[in-house]
Amino acid sequence: MLQQIIQILPQVLVDGLTLGFIYAVVAIGYTLVYGILELINFAHGDVFMTGSFIGAGVLFFLMSIGFLSSVPSLIVFIIVILIAALATGFLGVGIERVAYRPLRRRNAPKLIALITSIGISFILEDVVRFIAELKTGNYIITAPSLFKTQYHLNIHSIMPFFHNVTFQASFLVVLVVTVVMLISLDIFVNRTKWGMAMRAVAQDRETASLMSINVNRVISVTFFIGSALGGATGVLFMIQYGTIDPYIGFILGIKAFTAAVLGGIGNIRGAMLGGILLGLMEMFAAANLSTITHGAMGAEYKDVFAFIILILVLIFKPEGLFGKAVVEKV
Amino acid sequence: MSILEVKNLTKQFGGLTATSDISMGVEKNSITAVIGPNGAGKTTFFNMITAVYRPTSGDILLNGKSLVGLKPHQVSKFGITRTFQNIRLFNEQTVLDNVLVGMHQRLKGHWVGTLLHFPNVKREEENAKIEAYKILEYVGLEEYVNENAGNLAYGAQRRLEIARAIAAKPKVLLLDEPAAGMNPKETQKLTDLIHDMRTRLDVTIILIEHDMKLVMKISDFIYVLDHGELIASGVPEEIRNNKRVIEAYLGKGAVLNG
Amino acid sequence: MREQISKFSQSPKAQAIFFAAYVIVTALGLYLMQTSVIAFLLLLFSILILYYLKLKTRTKWLIGLFIIAVVVPLVASQGPSFQSYMEVGTLVGIYAAMSLGLNVVVGFAGLLDLGFIAFFAVGAYTYAIFASTQASHFMPFGHYPLPGDTFWLFILIGAIIASIFGILLGIPVLRVRGDYLAIVTLGFGEIIRIVLNNMDHPINITNGALGISSITPPNFLGIPIGNSSQFYFIVLGIFLVVIYIVTRLEHSKLGRAWKAVRDNEIAAQASGIPLVKTKLAAFAIGASFSGMMGAVFAAKQMYVDATSFTYLESTMILVMVILGGMGSVPGVILGAAVVTILNTQVLTDLSNWLTQLSTNGVISIPDALSPAKMQRLIFGILLVVFALYRTQGLIPHKNRKINVEKLKKEASEAPGGALLSKERAETGGTD
Repeated sequence: MLQQIIQILPQVLVDGLTLGFIYAVVAIGYTLVYGILELINFAHGDVFMTGSFIGAGVLFFLMSIGFLSSVPSLIVFIIVILIAALATGFLGVGIERVAYRPLRRRNAPKLIALITSIGISFILEDVVRFIAELKTGNYIITAPSLFKTQYHLNIHSIMPFFHNVTFQASFLVVLVVTVVMLISLDIFVNRTKWGMAMRAVAQDRETASLMSINVNRVISVTFFIGSALGGATGVLFMIQYGTIDPYIGFILGIKAFTAAVLGGIGNIRGAMLGGILLGLMEMFAAANLSTITHGAMGAEYKDVFAFIILILVLIFKPEGLFGKAVVEKV
Repeated sequence: MSILEVKNLTKQFGGLTATSDISMGVEKNSITAVIGPNGAGKTTFFNMITAVYRPTSGDILLNGKSLVGLKPHQVSKFGITRTFQNIRLFNEQTVLDNVLVGMHQRLKGHWVGTLLHFPNVKREEENAKIEAYKILEYVGLEEYVNENAGNLAYGAQRRLEIARAIAAKPKVLLLDEPAAGMNPKETQKLTDLIHDMRTRLDVTIILIEHDMKLVMKISDFIYVLDHGELIASGVPEEIRNNKRVIEAYLGKGAVLNG
Repeated sequence: MREQISKFSQSPKAQAIFFAAYVIVTALGLYLMQTSVIAFLLLLFSILILYYLKLKTRTKWLIGLFIIAVVVPLVASQGPSFQSYMEVGTLVGIYAAMSLGLNVVVGFAGLLDLGFIAFFAVGAYTYAIFASTQASHFMPFGHYPLPGDTFWLFILIGAIIASIFGILLGIPVLRVRGDYLAIVTLGFGEIIRIVLNNMDHPINITNGALGISSITPPNFLGIPIGNSSQFYFIVLGIFLVVIYIVTRLEHSKLGRAWKAVRDNEIAAQASGIPLVKTKLAAFAIGASFSGMMGAVFAAKQMYVDATSFTYLESTMILVMVILGGMGSVPGVILGAAVVTILNTQVLTDLSNWLTQLSTNGVISIPDALSPAKMQRLIFGILLVVFALYRTQGLIPHKNRKINVEKLKKEASEAPGGALLSKERAETGGTD
């Protein structure tokens, strides 16, 4: 049994990293918003989904005007991901304006804000479904293939206890783009004026506003960044996995939230690590659950596995692996 | 005889020491004040007694029994209730219901009894309402019985918190800045109420207060905290002339003499 | 004109006459136009009018019961749509009971549960497994399916098992900070669904994705129950029990404790309320209503599979609670009725009508726009609009007003007054 697990480990690593980096970026969206507003933004998973559809739409459009055949796919990809990120960034800002800011202004209970975000999530899902179905007749969309070249890594010949690894070119794209996004965000938050303002607002909104920080503006910027990152990751998801539907954001959103909790909610680097960790664990479970339980449980339980991690972390280490405990003020 | 004893109580938040090595005894049926400048650790001290925070070290004894490690609701059952510095009422419930919640642990009726119309549960409930009304009369809120607690004026909210706290028939009542935000007339009424509660309800009262006039007038004994440490204790006259206290309150000497 | 209206709102007699006329007219309308959904809905609407009349509560209850239990079934029974009307009524009852359960959790105790449908699933599967041959796959003893007489017992068993699940979920989960609870319960709901969908191996307990079919219908004194018109009365009975429980508890010690926990956890604890125990009670009681209705649902459908218990369903029940008004019992019932009728009747009818128009070539409406598919959009809009603009819902919760004069009199007559006495509850005891 152990041998079997070890043999496929390199492949699990590759698949887990792909998924993990996607979780990591989406998790940042949750963590940024939670850090500042203490709100679980249920709509964030659907912003990610919307990003993937906008990406697919732009890609289809570029294809229809023959752009795709005349320009290198890398450039096409950059155009697509930038448009999707911008669009979802503004979508996020819009959601905050319309749905959350009025609640904040009248100091509504948290429960109400949560319910609003669930409502927004449903609206996004159905509007995207509607548009997709109207345009293509089906809400499940298979994206045009980009970076589909298959690579084989022949590690078996070097390390005979491992099987060989296969991956697509898109794996490298996902890896590079997410790493670039994560590093630039880290720099933004820790080195720029806006980043400092964000951290100040997260720490203490009232004091920050006394320090002549425009809190609403900072919140808007936060939503823009979180949503743009989410939308861009949607594009990566589409390129990596090919098929998208309006409901991919729901489960992926919860898992990304799990990743954010795992890393300590509000903690950006924690969210990155949490995402990667969760992706690896999930892929490991998907590949090996059946072997470990002798067929009693298969890959269909991988979501259950992720939820159980979420529940365990929240119960035993709610501050996350890299977070700080918060004491409520009495 | 001390009803409440605190031994070497220390609380640290991470690296920050909020209170350090505090020991004190509170006489039964006394009115004891805990004073000190802002950030002296007074509320943290209350929070430890009522088990909102668990002390890092030290012990709290009520009639010789340790309270450390209990849950907040158990402390209430043992006979300590409190009010809060930043008012914490059940805003969406009526004034009467707020007081009834205060009686929670004294009411024995089980919800199964409620469903099955057990006569004893019904009687208990009716008596509880009558008693709650009397408590409201006592604190002067009887005209607001059906009002939502959140709609009351500030001073009335403070009194409702007291009503809720005494509804549990506590042995020790902790008042966290009861006069904060009150005008002189309201403060006077509050002073009378605190005096009256001590005799009528046979309760020991510990209060945190910034209004020195009130403190000096009302307290039998005063403890002074500064930067988490106990710097002085004594009857009002002693505290008034204590050098360390005056230092701690530097610049507030005028208030002390007033 | 205004004077007349105010006169009308003051006069119980005028209102009673108006109401009787309304009921007679709509009942007659339905009697004569059996296929008219509008007539049916107008007749149901009389219950809402009744709620706002200035009559004694007891009188309102009696009249309401009479309309629901006698007038509606009787008038509707004359035509071909009888069973479909009763089906709508049955579903309204099922969902209303469930939303009252969720209302205990969200509205009273302030705990956002996004996986509430799981308890419904538990109740449904409990009956389905034992009232079909499914149980013989893993039960070492007994003969399955159990006969239809056991259904009545299973209403209770469904309630108990669901509340056990509620407690099992609650014990770990309720220690979690407030807003995390939403996501944990959501995860729990999904876990239950996935597990039910996959428990056909290694031991076949739920028959996996195929679901459980040929569930034995209930049996009442030897008569098998298979029609919606019969289930209507079962559901009505359970629904009344649920209303009774909810209204009794709301104004009890436990109900006050729930609301105290909702309004301010720290103050509630300081007042002697055990946090976890109080929240667990809300979870267990709320879940039990769903469990009961789950058993009825399984018996009515005679088939269950995991697709009936998705996140969408959980959210639908949440929509009912928010729409009606959190914490408001009449509001939540209204919310459940509105959403159920919208979902099962109005959207379907609208879709059929549009399709017909399309096929007749009057207008062309793309299939994507079919209203029956727009549930999510409608639920989403309802949630956002009500959260933003009418947080208290259609019928806002009102605190019960105590008769102050009576209380004052009783207080002055009461001996001595407990306030003055020095006796006190004994020290000690843990909770």
